[in-house]
Amino acid sequence: MEQIQYHIKCRKGDVHRAVLLPGDPARATYIAENFFANPRQVSENREFRIFNGLYEGFPLAVCSTGIGCMSSAVAIEELVNVGCKYFLRVGTAGSLQAGIRPGEIVIATGAVRGDGASLEYIHPSYPAVADFSLLKALRKRAEREKVPYHLGIIRSHDAFYRESPLAFGDFKKRVQIWVEAGVLAIENESSTLFVVGSLRKAQVGSILVIAGSLATGEEVSYEEIRESVDMAIKIAAGALVDLLKGENEP
Amino acid sequence: MKRTHHLQVSPGEVGEYVILPGDPGRCRLIAEHFEEPKLVASNREFVTYTGKHRGLSVSVVSTGMGCPSAAIALEELIMLQAKYFVRLGTTGALQKELRIGEVVIANSAVRTDGTSLEYVPLEFPAIADFDLTMALLEASREKGIKAHMGTIWSHDAFYKGSVFADPDFLERERWLVDSGVLSVENESSALFVIGYLRKVKVSTILTVVANHHSKEVLSDEEALEPIFDLMTEICLEAFHKLSSTPEG
Repeated sequence: MEQIQYHIKCRKGDVHRAVLLPGDPARATYIAENFFANPRQVSENREFRIFNGLYEGFPLAVCSTGIGCMSSAVAIEELVNVGCKYFLRVGTAGSLQAGIRPGEIVIATGAVRGDGASLEYIHPSYPAVADFSLLKALRKRAEREKVPYHLGIIRSHDAFYRESPLAFGDFKKRVQIWVEAGVLAIENESSTLFVVGSLRKAQVGSILVIAGSLATGEEVSYEEIRESVDMAIKIAAGALVDLLKGENEP
Repeated sequence: MKRTHHLQVSPGEVGEYVILPGDPGRCRLIAEHFEEPKLVASNREFVTYTGKHRGLSVSVVSTGMGCPSAAIALEELIMLQAKYFVRLGTTGALQKELRIGEVVIANSAVRTDGTSLEYVPLEFPAIADFDLTMALLEASREKGIKAHMGTIWSHDAFYKGSVFADPDFLERERWLVDSGVLSVENESSALFVIGYLRKVKVSTILTVVANHHSKEVLSDEEALEPIFDLMTEICLEAFHKLSSTPEG
């Protein structure tokens, strides 16, 4: 029998190979219950909660990563070990640009590597870049839903209470360099997911909903962005389906 | 505005769409694909031709070798209102399976150059424009070319990281081979970083002229001409895909 993965408690073949990656375990349940047909929980251990299910008739999975690149790297490594291939992070982010408002959707082409985990993998000169086929699929689904989105570079980092609207002190000053560089938004997982994806030859993308703004200091409740989060999940799940469909094309 | 400091080009003398070879000697060959190409300027390593292509206003500008001069060319072209840029050049393969004459489209670059570091810290990713990169990929497919798309390595010291470097080169840079980096060149990282910062679209198309595993090198300029012609056609078709201008 195949070895059970240390943290996610799954074996080869247990998890469908196209996986949505929310940060929050509760959102994994939410996605499985509200978006999947025939959802079935595969495992749960620590912050990793995994479900299989069907979306538009195609097999998808969802696995929560927990907050941060450290646990996200553990999740994607072990999911690749059990045979998963396509990954889409669906989460929330803080806006770095005054023109990008709470509730709006950001699709990341790449990430500033302000985290520690990806540095253990490879020198910071190596780009944290999203998979371009997944970007194409995300864009197609967003356009089909007629949802506007921002496409560009985001920043991933480790210390939430240094760079967030909830941080103490002058958080705007800390992120000023990234604001000026035109970085769209800030979150905590994508850089490592992109780098590990490239190194492990898995395809990884990231779609985010703005939940607050470091540019304006604005904070909104989850209720105010719920519809956008649902839309991001729908776009992401659809994009994974399109990749699975593409496997059978010449 | 008078002529830009290095390119020696005045406003109105370059198109919105620009092909960026490294070698000034390749500009004329590329400009032959334009309608009514005109030599606009030639100063240092920067040679500029401008013309039309089915209604688009297009230019070719050589960047010289390396990120310092490539950054100057891009910055001055942005001052001159150019918006779309494709670097068109040569590259050395870091992966065994990349053969001489094959085409690489870079969606990102490892940035060990010095120039891009002066712009923004190292953790900022050097990423090509998504739309322009996908347009290059599609245009290649339409021309019957199966291009390799992925991350390349841009660096500064040719004689430390090339087929002509010391024999330990590949061992020293094993991390790039092992991480799946396709090939090596000297300009794209700074072009990608500056493109993002200045909100213009930049991508890169390259042909493999050496393989660092087999040590094969193609140095015959004439043998390269057909592939440069083909890559020029791919660039021009990619520009048309992004253009809203009706073809004239």
